[in-house]
Amino acid sequence: MATDITSIADLAPAGAEIFVLAATCVVLLADVFWGERQRWLTYTLSLLTLAGAAVITLTHGAPGRELAFSGMFVSDPMGDVLKVFTYGAVAVSFIYSRDYLTRRGLAKGEFYVLALFAMLGIMVMITAGSLLTVYLGVELLSLSLYALVAFDRDSGIAAESAMKYFVLGAIASGALLYGISMVYGVTGSLRLDEIAVGVSEVGASQLGLVFGLAFIVVGVAFKFGAVPFHMWLPDVYHGAPTPVTLFIGSAPKIASFALAIRVLAEGLGGMVGGWQDMLVVLAALSMGLGNVVAISQTNLKRMLAYSTISHVGFILLGFVAGTATGYQAAMYYTLTYVIMALGGFGMILLLSRDGFESDRLEDFKGLAKKSPWFALVMLMLMFSMAGVPPFVGFWAKIGVIGAVVDKGYTWLAGIAVFFSVIGAFYYLRVIKLMYFDEPTDVGAIEAGGSMRFVLSANGLAVLALGVFPSVLLDLCIRVLQ
Amino acid sequence: MTIVNILFYLFSAVLIGSAIGVITARNPVHAALFLVFSFFNSAVLWLLLEAEFLAIVLVLVYVGAVMVLFLFVVMMLDINLVQMRQGFTKYAPIGLVVAAIVVAEIGSVVWVKELGLTNIGDVAPLPAGYSNTKALGQLLYSDYIYPFELAAVILLVAIVAAIILTMRKRTGLKPQDIAAQVAVRAKDRVRIVKMKAEGKES
Amino acid sequence: MITLPSVLLLSGILFSLSVAGIFLNRKNVIILLMCIELMLLAVNFNFIAFARQLGDIDGQVFVFFILTVAAAESAIGLAILVVLFRERRSINVSELDSMKG
Repeated sequence: MATDITSIADLAPAGAEIFVLAATCVVLLADVFWGERQRWLTYTLSLLTLAGAAVITLTHGAPGRELAFSGMFVSDPMGDVLKVFTYGAVAVSFIYSRDYLTRRGLAKGEFYVLALFAMLGIMVMITAGSLLTVYLGVELLSLSLYALVAFDRDSGIAAESAMKYFVLGAIASGALLYGISMVYGVTGSLRLDEIAVGVSEVGASQLGLVFGLAFIVVGVAFKFGAVPFHMWLPDVYHGAPTPVTLFIGSAPKIASFALAIRVLAEGLGGMVGGWQDMLVVLAALSMGLGNVVAISQTNLKRMLAYSTISHVGFILLGFVAGTATGYQAAMYYTLTYVIMALGGFGMILLLSRDGFESDRLEDFKGLAKKSPWFALVMLMLMFSMAGVPPFVGFWAKIGVIGAVVDKGYTWLAGIAVFFSVIGAFYYLRVIKLMYFDEPTDVGAIEAGGSMRFVLSANGLAVLALGVFPSVLLDLCIRVLQ
Repeated sequence: MTIVNILFYLFSAVLIGSAIGVITARNPVHAALFLVFSFFNSAVLWLLLEAEFLAIVLVLVYVGAVMVLFLFVVMMLDINLVQMRQGFTKYAPIGLVVAAIVVAEIGSVVWVKELGLTNIGDVAPLPAGYSNTKALGQLLYSDYIYPFELAAVILLVAIVAAIILTMRKRTGLKPQDIAAQVAVRAKDRVRIVKMKAEGKES
Repeated sequence: MITLPSVLLLSGILFSLSVAGIFLNRKNVIILLMCIELMLLAVNFNFIAFARQLGDIDGQVFVFFILTVAAAESAIGLAILVVLFRERRSINVSELDSMKG
């Protein structure tokens, strides 16, 4: 059954991946030879890589579901949409990070190279058609992220959080692999489409499968950062340099969504009853713990980490529904969350200066007096995260809550609404600090023009997508039938 | 009870014993050596399970490279062994309970119910002349070309990450710059000064 | 003959030992990394046993990739460990508590 790759056309479905890999190698080499003198070169080449990948994905998008490389690679419209959003998120995080990295002497080319490799891992997960490619994608992403977290070698807390991330991440990979081995043993295949057939043949209650599924859900929950597998998330967000926190907080969430949809919905879709029960617990705990613990935080990065945990709970709600509507809502939530997270961490980077991290809540005091426009941008982002209409976060929450209500989980929807209200408290506290407190920090904003422009656009996007929610929602509905 | 069975149980018992050694050893060097021993036993078991190529790779890559790297780091870091010897912490009971539960669960699932697998039966040994290496190699470079390339990228990431994390340019070193040494020309180093021969003073 | 359940049980015991080791060793990160290697070894046993049972070599190919990735993983893990040790002069797990909240 060996498939021959006879012509270049057989490689075409993976065109974007191949381009990103080749271009990243070029970036790496260019940085080694000229990066020391020409600081702009690596940055520009990295952005060009993302632009090129976007062009390839947009012009050579898959009309329908296509398999390549012996079924290990799936290209479908959903994957294309997720990939284009990933490029966008990575590009925005590069633009936000540039000034910060230059000021701290961290502007080494390796940041961009490792981030691009991490993005390649995300792309591999998005297009995974077999458990082997799922695993390799997860590892490519995780290994790059471990290195990025420890990237600032002179920071003790960065090294500590990288170590925690590494140990817990490796354990999660081990659990995921144990589950994969069980599923392989029972169904006799690693390909997700064949596993789906195998599951329907042996039955969803088969003991080996249920056993394997439990381990896989642990692995997926860890990568999402769902409670009780969230221990790494606050420390990593807090300890990592802010540009890395921004990176980890944005694009990899798309990867977690892709992981869940490929493995749980496509591969093990026949066992929906089995993983639904586990996800209900994870979702309820994440929404509860994330929102409650976030209230007591004084560090904004840590607060946003707990807020991430609660948003993960909401994304999982979409999967709990286990229907196409639920997956669409989860996808919509994920994409909008990435936009909001980019803005939130971008604001921290905007206000930071040399020797001033601006990651404490009190650093935002009186921002409205210092810069009314960016205080307004932050206000829109916080309102959106809290789920206040007419911002996009509201529609995202409505979507996932509607999906679980349709499936009869009214009590779960009640929990979700209850904790959203609690969550609103700490988002509103940031707004109160900005508008009603006196500034403690008098330094001016030093960020460059491109960052100001993109961050403003980011804030307005949250509003625009909220006023016209159907633009993005229709896209999610169209690609995920 | 065939000879294969006896060997299997023997090496399994030794493997479990050395795994217990890994997790209970206080001295990291002992733990690393116990782990090396576990890998050797595993390699033998994999040979019994007809995975010859992987057994060899386990010894070459794991024992030969990864564990040497571990030992190297253990030796390089000046770890305070006295502090390490203070014993297990309050988490020890939790660890034992968790381990016992997992063993009980896996045992009951695997042993008692046999996973509900229908296809359990005796497997005939592979025919003589079958080459495990060849079979793996053929798959790896045809069906598995995409994962194979990804594995290459993962190794590249590991190289980049290890260099960026640990390489430091220290001041005060006097490294050799071979390019500069080769590029040296005689006229850069030696200045020939024409002067009149000094005669003997008379 | 070696039966599938006996190999799976062996792998299960190894897996639980490695989990127990992670809980037990709160003093030394490097032994934690070794426990992770032990965990991957247990998974490899599963794959090899299933590959033999199913007469399907795909499981062995998976093990090949796990070995590759695990080698890369331990290289990065040890690099992070070295960075940590340079900063702290200690690799004691219970001292990794500078962040709270």
